[in-house]
Amino acid sequence: MRLNRRLTQRLLPFLSLIVLFVALSIASPYFLTANNLASVARQTAVFNTMALGMTIVIISGGIDLSVGSILGLSGLIGTMALERGYPIGIGVLIGVAAGTLCGFANGLMVTRLRIPPFVVTLGTLGIFRGLALIISNGLPVHKIPAGFSFLGEGNLAGVPFVVWMLVICAVAVHVVLEHTRLGRYAFAIGSNRVASVYAGIPVSFHVTSVYAIGGALTGLAGMIEASRLMTGQPTAGQGYELQAIAAVVIGGGSLNGGEGSVVGTLIGAFIMGLLSNGADLLNISNYWQQVIIGAVIILAVTLDEVRKRRAV
Amino acid sequence: MLLELQDIEKRFGGVTALRKGNLSVAAGEVHLLLGENGAGKSTLMKIVAGIVERDAGRMLWNGAEVSLRTPSEAAAIGIAMVNQESLLAPHMSVAENIFLGREARGLFGWVDRRAIVSRTRELIAQYGFPLNAEDRVGRLSPAGRQMVEICRAIQHGSSLLIFDEPTSSLSDTETQQVFRIVRDLKARGMGIIYITHRMDELRAIGDRVTVLRDGSTVHTGMLADIATDRLIQHMVGREVAAIYEREHLAPGAALLDVRDICVARSKLKNISLILRAGEITGMAGLIGAGRTELCRAIFGVDAINSGSIFVNGVAARIGSARDAVKAGIALVTEDRQVSGLALRLPIAANVTMANVERISRFGFLDLGLQNRLASELGTKLRLKAASPAQLAGTLSGGNQQKVVIAKWLFRQAKIFLFDEPTRGIDIGAKAEVFELMSELAREGAAILMVSSELPELLHVADRIVVMRQGRISGELARGTTQEQIMRLAVMEAAA
Repeated sequence: MRLNRRLTQRLLPFLSLIVLFVALSIASPYFLTANNLASVARQTAVFNTMALGMTIVIISGGIDLSVGSILGLSGLIGTMALERGYPIGIGVLIGVAAGTLCGFANGLMVTRLRIPPFVVTLGTLGIFRGLALIISNGLPVHKIPAGFSFLGEGNLAGVPFVVWMLVICAVAVHVVLEHTRLGRYAFAIGSNRVASVYAGIPVSFHVTSVYAIGGALTGLAGMIEASRLMTGQPTAGQGYELQAIAAVVIGGGSLNGGEGSVVGTLIGAFIMGLLSNGADLLNISNYWQQVIIGAVIILAVTLDEVRKRRAV
Repeated sequence: MLLELQDIEKRFGGVTALRKGNLSVAAGEVHLLLGENGAGKSTLMKIVAGIVERDAGRMLWNGAEVSLRTPSEAAAIGIAMVNQESLLAPHMSVAENIFLGREARGLFGWVDRRAIVSRTRELIAQYGFPLNAEDRVGRLSPAGRQMVEICRAIQHGSSLLIFDEPTSSLSDTETQQVFRIVRDLKARGMGIIYITHRMDELRAIGDRVTVLRDGSTVHTGMLADIATDRLIQHMVGREVAAIYEREHLAPGAALLDVRDICVARSKLKNISLILRAGEITGMAGLIGAGRTELCRAIFGVDAINSGSIFVNGVAARIGSARDAVKAGIALVTEDRQVSGLALRLPIAANVTMANVERISRFGFLDLGLQNRLASELGTKLRLKAASPAQLAGTLSGGNQQKVVIAKWLFRQAKIFLFDEPTRGIDIGAKAEVFELMSELAREGAAILMVSSELPELLHVADRIVVMRQGRISGELARGTTQEQIMRLAVMEAAA
């Protein structure tokens, strides 16, 4: 009985996702169409991929405010490579590498300068965005091979390609978090950094790695975004960091570190995606969408806190 | 009676914290509240202080039934709690902390700093606290902060004060100061409830005593009428040897050899110390003598400025905790919640934390193996837990300490530094911790046991090293006395 209640509470985000899904199916005849669902999947793919990286960072007790800028910078660098005639696969890898490098730089500064990650990434939020604008002179990259649109818009076996990518990334991040040393250390460091140091865990190395992985996933998200827009925009991704953090938090991640999961984050990102899609379908203005999503963040975290307080 | 609690019940979810909590306190008495961790002492006191509400039972205040919903309602009728871990604002002054939330208002509603300071000075003078009204609280010793808490409670005009283990982090001199203040408050007619784990200080302070076990009051009466052994029996519900006796072995090879180390940062000077296999070396000293700092230096947390450390006879370069762990050294810190455990992670994750390599297979964690090994260790250490998946933060103090020890057993450490290993854990668990330490020694580990509880050191340690002001002031063989230890701890070593 008691276990059931606790289980229900833990499943609450998932249940609210289903309720939202059913409610939207009833409210709008367009919602439950293959076209619309595919478009939701494509729209949320960018946030989802970023949020996966943010999940690891937040579990390790950190935060990365610069992901929006990393997304813009890596999408730009990747598309510039495509413009120079590199094959599409290499171009995507270059974008991912650029994101990894940015994350690595964040991690290095967090561990070497011993400045709170909030401050480090607040700084690099400006630096990475500025670099993107300097490199591109503020102009978007347009000359991109048509085949590149497959990444963001193509289908494989009738399912949007980004969904396959997302599934692969989600499984990979889940495995890293739950079944590897790096994931275990991320939880330990996020839950108690001092105890982790005392246990002989190479904390600096793993914290840096966590930011680099977050950067890599953000780099991939940058390439998906560029593929969807078929341009490399130096201004792409502005404000996305808050969406990514919100997805993690709605999914049960704690900004104090030590808590969070891939499944939770995906549910969080889908709840936000559905809310925004539903609002569009039901002709609710963009202005109200922001209010609704903000309210959902607060509601989700409140419910989660209530659950934790009861559990102890 | 000032306060009467009758058959108080309290449940948290499915856990019953209190079944039959009974307690009565008269004005002008110090009433001791004893019980193992988890017996319900803290919950009972939280009900008295208005922090949690009772589910059933009656609470009478000066003969009239009351229900307190918030700490401020409790404060309004004259009940205040002096917290174990100070809830003070470290960046503010002593005076500001004492009047926090009750600032005297001056012209235009501004905070009248001068009035606050002068009233604090009066208070300090009246009770003879060793405090300065304008010092920043963050700079005070634990004892100083404790006294600010007491001032806060008195200033609010309380007639019942609750002390929750006030001396657990204090030195002997500081403890005496707190005792003096408690006696003074008693003489002024206040009722005092005093929770403690230190059996040696009971008689120095208490008038009556109430023992809680498993949420129920099992004994209440005059302290003078009952022997300490009987009290312990009431607490644990079975016969327990009050003092732990261990077999003493001939020491083996020197596992750790610290030669002439100096640490500028923590003012350690020319420390030499040898820890041998099979031997428990006790370490005594006043708070601030440098015992914790020595552990930190050996463990690579604080950088050593000169001198050297040999592990198994080989010079070891220990520049970080990681180096120390690799060299087979384990540190069980005095504050396990701050530096020992990841409270929000499962027991199994804590146990394997220092040696994840052992459960890694081709780069992936073998979670089945992890849970099996963690369960085995849990059984060996008699850990009371539902499963290896239970969160470490939900365990009692003694069981948390066992998880910390399990972590180092899992790492197969050979040199153990125990810093106040029994702090905040109940008597039954203390005996188990000592037993574990003996077993480690028997299996060939070298153990340093830092403790402020001299009776424990005298019974458990094979020899006792005493520190004073950053130096080792002397070493005493087994069979020494508290007086000899205190002499070395307080005075200059005999030439």
